[in-house]
Amino acid sequence: MIVFFVIPLALTVVWSVFERTMFWMEPAFTLFSYENFFFSSRLENFLSSMMHSSISVVCAFFIGFPIAIFIRRRVKKVAQHRVMLLFILPFMVSEIIRIFALRPILSRNGVVNSFLMDMNIIDSPISIFVFTPTGVVIGEIVSFLPFMIFSTFLALEAIPNYIFEVCSDLGVNRKRMFLDIFFPLAAPGLFAGSVFIFVNGIGIALIPTILGGPGSVNAGLIATQAIIALDFPLAMAVSAIMMFTLMGLLYIGHRLFNLTKLLEPIS
Amino acid sequence: MSVRDDFQPQWKLALKWGWLAFAVFILMAPTFYTVYISFNELGFGAKYYIFTFQWYESVFSDRQLIGALGWTMLLALITLPIVIPFGLLSAKLYKQSSKKVWIVFVLLSPLFVPADILASALLVFFKNLNKFFTFIADFTGFYALESWFDLGIMTAVIGLIVYTLPYVFVVIMITMARYRNEQTEAARDLGASAWRAFWEIEFPQIRAGVFSACAFVVILTFNEYTRTSLLKGGFDTFTSVLISQMLNTGMSEESYAMASIVSLVAIIIVSSILIFTALRSEELEKVTRKVKEPNK
Repeated sequence: MIVFFVIPLALTVVWSVFERTMFWMEPAFTLFSYENFFFSSRLENFLSSMMHSSISVVCAFFIGFPIAIFIRRRVKKVAQHRVMLLFILPFMVSEIIRIFALRPILSRNGVVNSFLMDMNIIDSPISIFVFTPTGVVIGEIVSFLPFMIFSTFLALEAIPNYIFEVCSDLGVNRKRMFLDIFFPLAAPGLFAGSVFIFVNGIGIALIPTILGGPGSVNAGLIATQAIIALDFPLAMAVSAIMMFTLMGLLYIGHRLFNLTKLLEPIS
Repeated sequence: MSVRDDFQPQWKLALKWGWLAFAVFILMAPTFYTVYISFNELGFGAKYYIFTFQWYESVFSDRQLIGALGWTMLLALITLPIVIPFGLLSAKLYKQSSKKVWIVFVLLSPLFVPADILASALLVFFKNLNKFFTFIADFTGFYALESWFDLGIMTAVIGLIVYTLPYVFVVIMITMARYRNEQTEAARDLGASAWRAFWEIEFPQIRAGVFSACAFVVILTFNEYTRTSLLKGGFDTFTSVLISQMLNTGMSEESYAMASIVSLVAIIIVSSILIFTALRSEELEKVTRKVKEPNK
């Protein structure tokens, strides 16, 4: 892992300052690739993909967190893992198949629009579900929601039952229970899930390619397009920026919440 | 036991179960839709639906798909015997180590790195390694090393190992969590070698996790696109054929059928593992209860 994961990622910083040649790159120190990234429409695309990913994180929080709390609190201990495993099944189907099948489901003549029109909820088809930023957000939620549920549940699983019993005995209301117990104790899991969705949202090219339409570009797409254009230093600059974003977020998360706590229930 | 609120109205509980079921349904909807289309004689986008097995029958005459399937299977079969022992060793190292943060960082951070970014970094890394080995070969006259890191099966397998190892590690860790290390210590005290203690005492107890990890590796290899497509060199994998059809000509009906087969096989394998482990853990709990409370 050190040779084929840590070193290649660390070396992206070195390669990003190399000079571009016709088909490859040569050792030099130039910040041209970073200029090329920060002083062009690429930065705008990167920032807008960050915004879409942030929206996906918020949506995944509101959908996934109540599910994780429900499983932890209301489902019998022996059945909790079984219910969690329901969310593994979608993960086991190829992301390509899942994302691509969303196109006919969400398109103007797709299943969702047909259903809404048959139910007389809408008069004409809604066209913002695919080939728009909304399509990207929907794709990210469908792709990454299980991870938010897993990591949050893992954090909640470490909370001993007596804490809930004490709260119940003391008559703590739901709002305080949520703000003082669930939210702070699930924070490492929420953070890990959020980082996963955020970073993959800005880094996986497949979702904007299939669901985002022509103007939808994220960091992953910029990197792969740069490789296709044989601009390796630019691809490495994008990779380095992504790596620093990820490392920065993980470091902050670890300092704040000690992310290794997440593995306590299984170690 | 979970804490249950007896005063909660039944309709609220039903609503929460409904929300959970709805979320699972939404996540599975694209897969269900693919399967649904694969049985339509008129294919995708048709106004009418005529049920047929025709596309499944003709799947096996699509040489490109079958060829890609063969390559993907080969990748899975090469990755498997490498990544599973790595995962086992990593899990054991994690349990024994005092510096858990670093092990977790190295083993789990590939989960967080987007596929396109890691694949780009590995691609450039392999190209540089190739240049380095060519230089060494020219310098020493030892040409066996020269094209080791040419894009091909080996580079694709390395990409897959980096991708699947975190999953293998977590799955094996979950099964290892139940294992009590005192059993190994007892075996070693009785004169067993480290290997024998592992193979005869520990392995039978974590076997389910190891087999589950094997299934996960095969499924993940079939599902992976970005890393393999950048690192594979000249051959096609199942997902690279699918994506090229999707983006260029639109998916053929045979592709819907093949996507359905792969999805359903993955779902059946994972469901079987889950049901098997659930039944086994229930059985183990019963045995533990009997040992703890023999009179009950």
